[in-house]
Amino acid sequence: MSALSTWLAIAGVSISTFALRASFILFVDPHRFPHWFRQALKFVPPAVLAAIVAPGLAIPDGRLDLSLANPRLLAGLVAIAVTLRVRNPFAAIAAGMAALWALQWAIGRLG
Amino acid sequence: MLPVLLGTVPFGFVAGVAAVAAGMTAVQGIALSVLSFSGIAQLVASQLIAVHSPVVVTVAAAFVVSLRLLMYSAAIAPQLAHLDRRWRAGLSFLMTDQSFLSAAQRFGAPGDASNRHWHFLGSASTLYVTWQAAVAIGVVAGARIPAEWSLDFAVVLTFIALLVPAVRTRADLAAAIVAAAIALAAAGLPYRLALVAATIGGIAVGFAIEAARRGKAR
Repeated sequence: MSALSTWLAIAGVSISTFALRASFILFVDPHRFPHWFRQALKFVPPAVLAAIVAPGLAIPDGRLDLSLANPRLLAGLVAIAVTLRVRNPFAAIAAGMAALWALQWAIGRLG
Repeated sequence: MLPVLLGTVPFGFVAGVAAVAAGMTAVQGIALSVLSFSGIAQLVASQLIAVHSPVVVTVAAAFVVSLRLLMYSAAIAPQLAHLDRRWRAGLSFLMTDQSFLSAAQRFGAPGDASNRHWHFLGSASTLYVTWQAAVAIGVVAGARIPAEWSLDFAVVLTFIALLVPAVRTRADLAAAIVAAAIALAAAGLPYRLALVAATIGGIAVGFAIEAARRGKAR
């Protein structure tokens, strides 16, 4: 990506986040906010985050790999299990990275 | 406030590392953070810039993942309506998941409400400074970390740490599972359109399940 297009992306992302934050505070009357829309927005975090996490675990090198030989998938499952028990982002990152390094090392020894 | 500040440090560090790993210069990585001040938007933008997505796709994806800010804006707007435009613009710029939650508790409490925007400004600007320092450390350190450490995986793990607490109801879980399935099935689509398709599909399913549950309860 060229320097110019990177700068354009930075500008576009920054304008988007500000516009969304300022939408009702600065521009639109919140009483004109339909109820169903608010209900739908509640599902943005689980949907977006799952849509980012799934390919990060199951498509390590551009190809779908749901096998046990995929260390990222296993390390991700470890991180999910840890996060369910300990609600701490440090714990998820530490456990997931440790699991990935251990699995990569083990696969390196076997291969 | 202190646990919130500490919690953002590793997330900011990862966001800084991700910007450099995506091929951005240090100045670009810090500019993205200083101007957009949104961890999720920064990480998604970095991921898309890394795979050379067109600018329009990068911006659209960052917009979609930031839609929750619209929800916060609507919720908090009535409490800020008495302020002048400059105050409202400044507080809008600083609003994050954490400062929204902190302000929502404060504004909901009984007592004199006329000076509560100062509390919002104080907590949000403290978080801003902490966040930018963490990102800057990540930007500087990220360039020195070898690729074999797979530190890009820390980005996915950060999203897992956000995803798990975001799933509270069965409808949330259904939204997450459907979004994950679409994201994998549609991964071949150009321009990472799978992310947008998966998000919309997940929202639709979660919304439908919630509506059915409400219909039954009535």
